[in-house]
Amino acid sequence: MGVVGIDRRQFLVAAGGSLGLGVLSACGSSSSSIASPAASKRPPISAEPGTLSILEWAGYEAAGTKAQTYGLLAGTDYTKKYGASGITYAYIVNDDEALAKATSGGPFDIMHPCHENIPDYVKRGLVQPWDTSLLPSLKQLNPYLLRATKYRGKQYHIPWDWGYGSLLYRTDKIAPTDAAGWELAWNKNYSGKVSLWNGASTNFEIAALKLGYPNMDVLTPTQLESAKQALITQKPLNKLYWGSEYSQEQPNFKSGEVWVTYCWQDSLVSMTKAGLKCAFLQPSQGRLSWICGFMLGANTKNYYHAHAYVESYINHAAAAQMTNLFYYGNSNATVTAADIKNKTLVAALELGNPRAVTTAPNHLQSWTPNRAALELAWQEVQAA
Amino acid sequence: MSTPDLARRQPRVRAVRLRIGRGTLVLPPLGIVLLVLVGPIVVLTLYSVNLRTNIPGTPTAFSSANWKDFLTGHGNPFRARFFYSMKFTLLVSFAVTVAAYPLAYYLAFVARRFRYTLLLVLIAPFFTSYLLRIVAWSDIVLNNNGIINQSLWTLHLRAHGNGVGWLLYSNFSIFLVLFYAWIPFVSLPIFAVLENMDHQLTEAAADLGASRFTTFWTVTFPLSLPGVIAGFVFVLIPTTGEFIAPLYVGGPNNQLFGNEIQSFFGDSPNWNYGAALAIALIAVVLVLMLIFGRFLSTDLRTRRSER
Repeated sequence: MGVVGIDRRQFLVAAGGSLGLGVLSACGSSSSSIASPAASKRPPISAEPGTLSILEWAGYEAAGTKAQTYGLLAGTDYTKKYGASGITYAYIVNDDEALAKATSGGPFDIMHPCHENIPDYVKRGLVQPWDTSLLPSLKQLNPYLLRATKYRGKQYHIPWDWGYGSLLYRTDKIAPTDAAGWELAWNKNYSGKVSLWNGASTNFEIAALKLGYPNMDVLTPTQLESAKQALITQKPLNKLYWGSEYSQEQPNFKSGEVWVTYCWQDSLVSMTKAGLKCAFLQPSQGRLSWICGFMLGANTKNYYHAHAYVESYINHAAAAQMTNLFYYGNSNATVTAADIKNKTLVAALELGNPRAVTTAPNHLQSWTPNRAALELAWQEVQAA
Repeated sequence: MSTPDLARRQPRVRAVRLRIGRGTLVLPPLGIVLLVLVGPIVVLTLYSVNLRTNIPGTPTAFSSANWKDFLTGHGNPFRARFFYSMKFTLLVSFAVTVAAYPLAYYLAFVARRFRYTLLLVLIAPFFTSYLLRIVAWSDIVLNNNGIINQSLWTLHLRAHGNGVGWLLYSNFSIFLVLFYAWIPFVSLPIFAVLENMDHQLTEAAADLGASRFTTFWTVTFPLSLPGVIAGFVFVLIPTTGEFIAPLYVGGPNNQLFGNEIQSFFGDSPNWNYGAALAIALIAVVLVLMLIFGRFLSTDLRTRRSER
């Protein structure tokens, strides 16, 4: 999931998965088997404090809270029943920062990382598995996403938003022959008009694919060094490493400051609607794909409230509205192409293929065993 | 006991009481300083030598590897970035101080009864947040569709849509924003010194036949040096750790040392390495404060007369 590092809105958008209802339901991984052994000892929801502390991307706040200003529907069921005043949010802009905050800034009742970080959250003792029997809409979720987000056989992560990562480029500025693969970001003809994201793992994945390392998240030390050198070579071509989708990536692309930018499919829809001639690159090496979702705090005192909160996000109405609002895929398989208003988005999300996000030619961003080495290498790229 | 004896003893008793009173008064602020300033530095130092970790389950043991890598590692990019940042900081500090002097001079000697009104105008931007002002520079003034490029297009000085590339995400934009942000800060101490200067000295110089320039160079400027140095330090110290302006208006090649530290604690967490960089920066700032502190503590005129 490389998506993570931005204004959460983007992510929100991602949730739109419109995989065939019936197919998904049929394969549906249902759930209930993972109920926590301690569940019976938990106090009833009426005895819980009901004060949810949530680590979230800006934009994904529950409807009814003062923080939600985009018109998101998700969360409505929860805030109507339990009120909005007890919910507080801490914000993140990328997955690396999210893990750091979850580790040192919590504890949080609910966190919203992307799936490649699941092992890190579990190993650090930050989370516990969800009781899937408490999530009625879980049976509607895309089984391929549920399978991808299981860890050690348990559903630590409830997928909600997903999407693709690639280069968005101006078709009136970039020669068609140059728009073939990830090497477009290294094309010196467009020096000063390129903008990659300020995301360590994503940029190393891009460099790995460009260098021909399809196993992009498990790089050998030699491959990691090669990827680092490739990124150092590419660095001068960037106008900026953008940190915020809505205040940097999209405005710079819209103003013409940048002609080639890393982004998610939602920017394709937004920039197309803004009248720009642009396309979302289908790299010969394959695009990146990502899945983000909810994780449950290891020591939450709001166990049942947390489940109710997540249920208010993954149900059909909330998920469909998120996709239409933010242009992200959603994990609810009952949301089909017919529910999505923007047909550019329907095509970009490949909604007809429920396995698209998890299978080739897309590269699902996954856990990297040498995260520390990669992050230090990214620091060196930035300082070089 | 004779009266003279009492007279000698009484002052001693008072002195002891006063000493206790002063010490007691100092304790609360001293405690706060130790808690919120020295405490974090100690904790950071522990991180920098790997005696603490932010990652649960990671073993801790003393290691100077981060320090060795930063200080002596061959081609270490962070060390190179540090020297780059210091040069940039010195340039900004010098330029701002030079530019602030005439501003302060005007306020102190020319503006007369309007001086405080103009001073209020000068500091008015501080009623808005620093971040908002940076975003305003970026989005309204400097970017491709900003005021400057739009004006150039309107005046047909550049082809429409073809903006000046170095206006934003460049060294220029970082310099401009920092220059703008610090000018009032630097002007204030210089203004304070100039305004409190004994004007009889300049009048005396004029009476003795000195030209206006000679009077300024031999009387006014030397007397204003404490304010100039204070202003210079006001910029130098915080700019050594600056990261917000480069983050918003700098490009990938223009980030400062503060950005590296921020990134080690945020985007790409490695608190141990980041702590080594942070402590190194603190050490440099302390040295700078020691160097410049002596100029801030006393009036140069007094010091000169003492020699």
